[in-house]
Amino acid sequence: MLIVYQLAHSFLKVGFFGFGGGFAMIPLMQRMVVHQNNWLSASQFAAAIALGQVTPGPVAISATFIGYKVAGLTGAVVATVAIFTPSLLVMYLIEKFYLKVREKEITQAVLHGILPVVVVLMLQAAISLGRPTVHSFWQILVIVMVAALAITRKVSYGLLVAGSTAVGALMSFWL
Amino acid sequence: MQMDPPGEPTWWDITRTYLKIGAIGFGGGYAVVELIQSELVVKRRWLTAQRFQNMIALSEMAPGAFTVNLLAGIAYRLGGMGAMILATAALILPSFVLILVLAGIFLAWQDNMLVQSAMKGLTAGVVGLLIAVVWDLVKRAPTHWCCLVIGLVAFLLELAFSINPIWLILMGGMAGAIKVWAMGFSRKGSTPDLPTR
Repeated sequence: MLIVYQLAHSFLKVGFFGFGGGFAMIPLMQRMVVHQNNWLSASQFAAAIALGQVTPGPVAISATFIGYKVAGLTGAVVATVAIFTPSLLVMYLIEKFYLKVREKEITQAVLHGILPVVVVLMLQAAISLGRPTVHSFWQILVIVMVAALAITRKVSYGLLVAGSTAVGALMSFWL
Repeated sequence: MQMDPPGEPTWWDITRTYLKIGAIGFGGGYAVVELIQSELVVKRRWLTAQRFQNMIALSEMAPGAFTVNLLAGIAYRLGGMGAMILATAALILPSFVLILVLAGIFLAWQDNMLVQSAMKGLTAGVVGLLIAVVWDLVKRAPTHWCCLVIGLVAFLLELAFSINPIWLILMGGMAGAIKVWAMGFSRKGSTPDLPTR
């Protein structure tokens, strides 16, 4: 029961502070799931994020995977509800107090202040995800290829994730 | 309000539509926005194009997945709190079921040699994606020395003390607010009677 409570607590926090889009949640999740609670290994966390990309929903759905791994179906439901509740709550408040939020200068300024922090956190997340798991040259090639394709060709993230998984599977025959 | 649609959508209409968007909304982010627009604005005319643009601006201010915020906000406008909760649940349901199935398969097979090698590729792919997203964020960020300073301070704090990211986010937000407040102050002081256009 305790672990379910911890899941709820962690993912409510992730949901509430995930400013800057779904991807901004990744560093927060990684910190709580991999570093603080040791619920998942670095590569299992990568799997959680990747599976979140091949499903139609948002990145936050990775919480479902993590919850399931930690506490089964109950964990999956609790983590999912917890990560989406803050979004709904804030949208409700924005709708309710619409006129006040419309004086957007201050809100915009706060978001502009958060953005550089999110950039730093995500770079940090990429490094701490890659360091324990990237050992071979072909993996570095995959990183470069995926980043380049995502930036220049706008290839869908799900496709890129599926492609890199296939490359990994092929490499097991080669090595 | 001359463009108001004929007849209000019921909770069931909203839920059904959101279930559909949740099932086919692959790609995430701004790619899904077009899908949402064609379903809700063009096809069903539940809200005007202008309101839709308005909702997009509001959704970017809330934490979490942008598309979920957008759709939750629209559902709230259409049918209140109950519709919002029900419709969001419907939106997430397809992904929820799919990821549970995939998680089950993955956890059962994760010690397999082939799966482990595939995982190495997958992890590299996710690192590449994170880099691409960072690139996008940097391009969208306003090029202002203040942004650089905030980023640099956050980087150093993270490096030196590995502070909880939540504190860094709060500090970034505060820095942004202080900057605007200070600039408003100096604007008043230095150029008091600029004609307002």
